[in-house]
Amino acid sequence: MRWALPALVVAACVGYLIYTASGGSAEYYLTVSELRSHTDSGDVRVAGVVQADVQKSDGGLHVMFTEKDGTDSVPVDYTGTLPDIFKPGITVVAEGRLGKDGVFHARTLLAKCPSRFSTTPYTQ
Amino acid sequence: MILGYIGVGALLAALVLGGFSAVLSFWAGAQENAVMVQVGRRAFYAAAAMIVVAGAVLEWALLSHDFSLAYVTEHTDLSTPTALVAAGFYGGQEGSLLYWALVLGVLGSASLVASASLGVRLAAFATGVMAVILTFFLVVLVLVASPFDLLSITPPDGLGLNPVLRDGGMLIHPPVVLAGFASFAIPFSFAAAALLAGRPDSTWIAHTRRFALIAWSLQTTGLVLGMWWAYHVLGWGGYWGWDPVENVALMPWLATTAYLHSSMVQETRGRLRAWNFSLVIVAFLLVVFGTFIVRSGVVPSVHTFAISAIGPWFLAFLFLCIVFSVVLLAARSNALGGHVEPVALVSREGAFVLQNLLLVGVVVVVLWGTVLPLVSGMFGQQRVVGASYYERAAGPLFLVILALMAAGPLLPWRRAAGRVRGGLRGSPSVRALMWPGATAVIVLAALVVGGVRSMPALLAFPLTGAVAATCFTQYARLGRGWSRMPSLLGRRRRRYGAYLAHLGLAVLVTGIAASHLWQQERDVTLSPGQQVTVAGYTLTYVGSQDRQLADHTELVAAMRLGDATLEPARATYAGLGGQSLTHVAISTTPVADVYVVLVAGNVDGSASFSVFVNPLVSWIWAGGAIIILGVILGNLGESAPALESVRRRVPAAAST
Repeated sequence: MRWALPALVVAACVGYLIYTASGGSAEYYLTVSELRSHTDSGDVRVAGVVQADVQKSDGGLHVMFTEKDGTDSVPVDYTGTLPDIFKPGITVVAEGRLGKDGVFHARTLLAKCPSRFSTTPYTQ
Repeated sequence: MILGYIGVGALLAALVLGGFSAVLSFWAGAQENAVMVQVGRRAFYAAAAMIVVAGAVLEWALLSHDFSLAYVTEHTDLSTPTALVAAGFYGGQEGSLLYWALVLGVLGSASLVASASLGVRLAAFATGVMAVILTFFLVVLVLVASPFDLLSITPPDGLGLNPVLRDGGMLIHPPVVLAGFASFAIPFSFAAAALLAGRPDSTWIAHTRRFALIAWSLQTTGLVLGMWWAYHVLGWGGYWGWDPVENVALMPWLATTAYLHSSMVQETRGRLRAWNFSLVIVAFLLVVFGTFIVRSGVVPSVHTFAISAIGPWFLAFLFLCIVFSVVLLAARSNALGGHVEPVALVSREGAFVLQNLLLVGVVVVVLWGTVLPLVSGMFGQQRVVGASYYERAAGPLFLVILALMAAGPLLPWRRAAGRVRGGLRGSPSVRALMWPGATAVIVLAALVVGGVRSMPALLAFPLTGAVAATCFTQYARLGRGWSRMPSLLGRRRRRYGAYLAHLGLAVLVTGIAASHLWQQERDVTLSPGQQVTVAGYTLTYVGSQDRQLADHTELVAAMRLGDATLEPARATYAGLGGQSLTHVAISTTPVADVYVVLVAGNVDGSASFSVFVNPLVSWIWAGGAIIILGVILGNLGESAPALESVRRRVPAAAST
């Protein structure tokens, strides 16, 4: 019973840390169509397929492309190192926010990495 | 073609033997029929042998390029180097499940060989539980994810391995991590068997701690190798991204770390029985849960796993395991209680309990972050958390754990408070705490004088210093009794091995904290002859050239750093739709790594780079090696008498 209090204190601390940390940094994971109607401020993540209109500038450190998901698409602008496998046709997750100009300004760009478990089904 | 049939046959035989072993072992255990228990155990060995046959067949098919097997076609091709073809065994979903079953069968058999001494019922139930788990994997392997499926037409060549995986890391990281995952089932089986047999005393602890330690060591090695691989191959300058795939490997490791400490309290004081059972069970449940979420695609991850049919199977298995564990613990809760004096707050065991609570707290933090997309998705818009969540929520908990690592080993067992009567300074534990305390103050002062003002740094480095100081004082005490050292070392090997592991962790955490808090990065475009300076390191871009290799072209840039030349490169694989792959160039010193990524080359000869300076990264790898060294020195060839003395020390527990 003597340990009930320390255990409660630890549990309360863990709960508090989780609450404050996730309140500050949890981001919405949206589809492109949801992005249009999303009103909260703060960064969001949007997943979609890179279209063929990739334009690189500044020695490949700046890139503009269209991210498409189903029928909706959004222009994305990103500065930084691109993931290795970045190319039209792959799925990326862009993290950032939609600007007033209708362009999604990505702070980070993650490519869905080809894991050792991904298999390309063999088609005959 | 024929190999496929032999493989399927071996798997079917293993399935029948595994199921037979499970049913017979439970029945014979309940009847206390020693002969039938032995038959059940041998059926388990036979099932393991059949899995070895199936594994050998798959490996043979891979090495002989038998493209009639879909698995061989999908994961290798004729141009893949032989070592990586062999690694194709665990390179895909089906093969990795077979590898898992193989490790479980072989390590499980090893754990059962010595189990007869534990008594008929416990040994029988342990065999039974393990056989059920093995049978589950075999059912999945036979019905939904067979590595021996045949193609109707044999193609002339395979599809090959993704270039990102064509790396030496592929040879060492996945097999170690998967073996770690598989081996958590062994402590679980013995814990469940002890509960089933109604013998929740310490006999199972002495027997299973060794296998828990094997699982823990494999997982430690796997985690560090995974970080090392990600750091050297992926080119984002980091080594840990708090991705669900990483989190699920970390959680069972944390739970088992807690168990390895709390089991000592049970060994020496006969306490925390229910807690120890729970930790071992939770570690295994986290393994099954993790396998389910990363392989079913229910949580968004940067790793795409083939969405396959095994998800629902693992979910059902997870559900079964949870129900079984909860019912079992509830049914035995009376036997787990008992009239034992409570653990004192300020004592060695008190520190262990607090450390355990904090580690479980970290597991909760990581688990919440991992399942948040799933949970929030059920109630509305899907939400995700990034690295900053884990840092803010788990960071403070890790800092308190470090403080406990510094103080805990110096506290006496039972009560510390009683010894303070002769004045605070006279108390051995308070005097012992002086060294780590002084070290922490000196490190803190040095940091403040050096101009460091970041709170995490001002807490983390003094604490890792204190942990190291604690380990050194323990070794110093050993050194004072120099003449007795060999015998002391022999008798307390596990203890001194553990201090070495603590020291390794202090080194590792120092590396993580420094590289994380003080990383510097610059993205630049340079023409030949131009320089860039990052954190005092000046790099000169000399030029770049194209190289044509067998299956890809490579753009190699030359960067001069002092006398050395770094050659970051970017490979392009024409055969794989023009996929490009970066080759990071790293200059390592004990102080810092200079980490250069070639982003792109331009027509005018200029090139773009990302340059990172990562302080103390090499300490992470060194720390990992020291941890494993400590575990090996402390436990390898541990003599049987050591285990005997443990059993003798807990007679009270054994009689309940």
